[in-house]
Amino acid sequence: MDLPGWQAIYQELKKNNFEIVSVAEDTGGVKDAGKAITDANPTYTVLIDKDHLVSRLYNMVNVPTGVWINEKGRIVRPNEVAFVDDRFKQFTGLDSAPYINALRDWALKGDASSFAMSEDRLRAKLGPPDANSMLATAEFGLGEQLYEAGHPAEAIPHFKEAQRLNPKSWNYKRQAYKLSSESDYGTTFRKEVDKIGGSKVYYTPPDLPPEKKQ
Amino acid sequence: MRMLLWCGMLAVPLLLATLPAVAKDIRATIVYDDRATEIDPAMEENGQLWITTADLTRATQFEVKPQGVCRNELCFPLPKARKQEFLRNSSGKKWFNLTGFAELVHQPVAHDAALAYWYFGLRGDQEQRLASLDAPDFTLPDINGKLHSLSDFRGRKIFLVTWASW
Repeated sequence: MDLPGWQAIYQELKKNNFEIVSVAEDTGGVKDAGKAITDANPTYTVLIDKDHLVSRLYNMVNVPTGVWINEKGRIVRPNEVAFVDDRFKQFTGLDSAPYINALRDWALKGDASSFAMSEDRLRAKLGPPDANSMLATAEFGLGEQLYEAGHPAEAIPHFKEAQRLNPKSWNYKRQAYKLSSESDYGTTFRKEVDKIGGSKVYYTPPDLPPEKKQ
Repeated sequence: MRMLLWCGMLAVPLLLATLPAVAKDIRATIVYDDRATEIDPAMEENGQLWITTADLTRATQFEVKPQGVCRNELCFPLPKARKQEFLRNSSGKKWFNLTGFAELVHQPVAHDAALAYWYFGLRGDQEQRLASLDAPDFTLPDINGKLHSLSDFRGRKIFLVTWASW
C-alpha cells in the first residue's frame, strides 16, 4: 500500500506548509478501501471517492496519479504517475526517486521550484477531454450507480461502453473487473497490458528531466 | 442501452421531428451530481426525458426562472426561438426537457432503458474548469464519514494523490 509511504513523506515535508490529500478511487467505498486506511492510520487526509469524482474532474485515467496545487488553489503540476516507493518497479520499470525528489523541491521552494510548470506548459497538457471521453464518464457513472443500487449485472454493459469510449482509462477497466470478474469482460488485466505493449508502457513516465543531483 | 450525444448531432432530432410524437408516462431514476432521485411520473418522448419543473428542482437544484435555468448564480438562458423544445404545459403541470437541456449545456447523458435510469455527467462549464488552471474543488468523506473539501486546504501546498484497492 502507498499510504504508509506517504505518511513518511508527510512527516518530512509538512513543516513547509505542505498537505497531502489522498483519495481512494473505489466504487465499493469503505468496504474496499477501508482496511488499508485503518491499517496505515495516516495523519494526513484520506478521502473515499465512490463515484470516481476526482478522476472525472481531473481527467485521470489510472492510479496512483498525483497533482500539485499551490497556495492559491492553482494547478502547478498536472496528472502524473506518483509512486512513493519502488514496489512496482519491476512491473513498470519506473524509479520513484526522481518524482519524490521533485516533490520535495516543490514543498521547499513552492512556485519557484523548477518542477512547478509554467502556465503555457500546463495549458498544453490540460486540453479539454474529447466528446467520447466525456460520454465515457457518463457511462461509467451510470454503471457505478446501477452497481450501487443492486444491479451489478446491468452495470456491466455500461462499464464496457465506458471502456470502449475511453480505452486509455485503466480506472474504467480495473474498477469494473474488481466489482465482478475479469471474465465478465472477456479479458484479463495481463492481456490488456500486453495489448498496449507490456507493463513497461503501462504508465507514462513523469515528465521530469533526466536524473541529476538535487 | 442508448446514449445521447451532447455535441450538436442534428441528424437524429431532425429525423425524429417528422415522426408523430409518442409520449409515454414512465417512472424514472435521475442521477444528477451523483445523486439519484426517483421521478414519478416522468415522460419519455422520442428519446427525450421530460420531468415537471418541481421535479427538476428536486433532482438537480436548477430552477426555471424568467432569465433562464438557474442554480444560485449559475444561469443558462434558453434560446428564445426554441423555448417549446424545453418547456411545455400538460395535464396542469409545467414540464421540462432535461435531456434537451443537457444537450444545450454540453452535458453527457447515459441511459439504461430497462431500468429507466438517466445519468447526467459534468456540464461543459465544469469540464472546462481545468483549462483555467484552478484546481477543481470537490467534497468527499473520510473513513468516518466526515466531509472534507479540497478548498479547506487553501493557503497550503497540496499534493493530491489517488490510489485504489484494485
